[in-house]
Amino acid sequence: MLELKLATNEGDSVPKLSVLSEIQRKSLLMWPCIEHDDTPWTPMAKPLSESKLALVTTAGLHVRGDKPFIQEHTKGGDTSFRVIPRSAGAADIIQSHTSLGFDHTGIYRDINVTFPIDRLPELVEQGKIGSLSDNYYSFMGALRDVTGIIEDSGPEVARRLKAEGVDVVLLTPT
Amino acid sequence: MTTTGLVLIEEHAQRVKPPRMLAVPFFFGNALGEADNPEYQHKILQATFDLLDRDSGPVLEQLPDDMVPDILMQGSETENESEDKGLNAADELTSLRAYYEQWTESHGGRTAVGASSIPQRRFRGVVRFLEGYINREETDMKERPEDATLPQFIRHCVNDLKAFYYEARMAQRPDGADRDIHDWFWSATAMGALTMSLAQRMRDDEDPETQALAYGIAR
Repeated sequence: MLELKLATNEGDSVPKLSVLSEIQRKSLLMWPCIEHDDTPWTPMAKPLSESKLALVTTAGLHVRGDKPFIQEHTKGGDTSFRVIPRSAGAADIIQSHTSLGFDHTGIYRDINVTFPIDRLPELVEQGKIGSLSDNYYSFMGALRDVTGIIEDSGPEVARRLKAEGVDVVLLTPT
Repeated sequence: MTTTGLVLIEEHAQRVKPPRMLAVPFFFGNALGEADNPEYQHKILQATFDLLDRDSGPVLEQLPDDMVPDILMQGSETENESEDKGLNAADELTSLRAYYEQWTESHGGRTAVGASSIPQRRFRGVVRFLEGYINREETDMKERPEDATLPQFIRHCVNDLKAFYYEARMAQRPDGADRDIHDWFWSATAMGALTMSLAQRMRDDEDPETQALAYGIAR
């Protein structure tokens, strides 16, 4: 078994990639990420315990019966989004993420390992989160061209979140 | 709106510079650490929400943990023994049906099967369809949506068959390690062998989209 090397502030700069296969490591290092020089910064307007929180994922999840995400290599990937109502249970949600490069068994066992739909209401009950949005949103990950998200689907989801009065967004990958 | 989140590849967050991210040392598909471990998932969430209190950013922190991610096994890493044992995918699938249904019953109806929209009771027909495709016969299924190409639909069918097998196996061996399930699928099942043949058939195709989709079928 390979040893996981954890990064420290002063130490290794490539922690998790070191445990991947050579092909995966090179592929991920070469991944065409958007590079930014600065960061948009929105401070908390009020404590989390008084905020409305929404869940947004790049896990390629969608409600059963909704259109699956598709693999569009020539276009850099599927940049559309799917709405997942908060009322949807684990049995209502499936994953059509097109990457074979990850282990799906965790999600088969428990969707909360990537999309914590059961954990968040528990935090509301505990008073740590004020409330939850009525809708969550899902995108496809592993995109090679995110222009469609930057120009179209991203602003549309942001508009919907703001219209619902969301204060805080939790982002999860897969 | 204020954002916080999890990232699995810290190097990507260093380049993108999102406002607040917690880099977690887990393998893909396990951003919140471990399935069926609510206590640990809450620990991850709390660490993610703690970043909301920072005054300036970008904030990129790491979660120290001693969990060691396993390396995902692929079909090419093993020899499939199903042909030697005289197994065929359609009969094998039928023999697993009771376990699959046991899985869904014990999980409140939840299943990862569903991408193709074909009911699992008709998966023998999906196997025949895929076998015909491998043999370069003119083949298709009436369930294929008009806006899905044939290779895209094949991908959804394979996703469903894999999910069916994995969930059946998890019902058979509730305490089985994830890697053991991958090992079983690729080395011991006729479906694993069929999936490898299907991927090879798609890699050999002249259509670039079909070739590209083969990468997500098996490698």
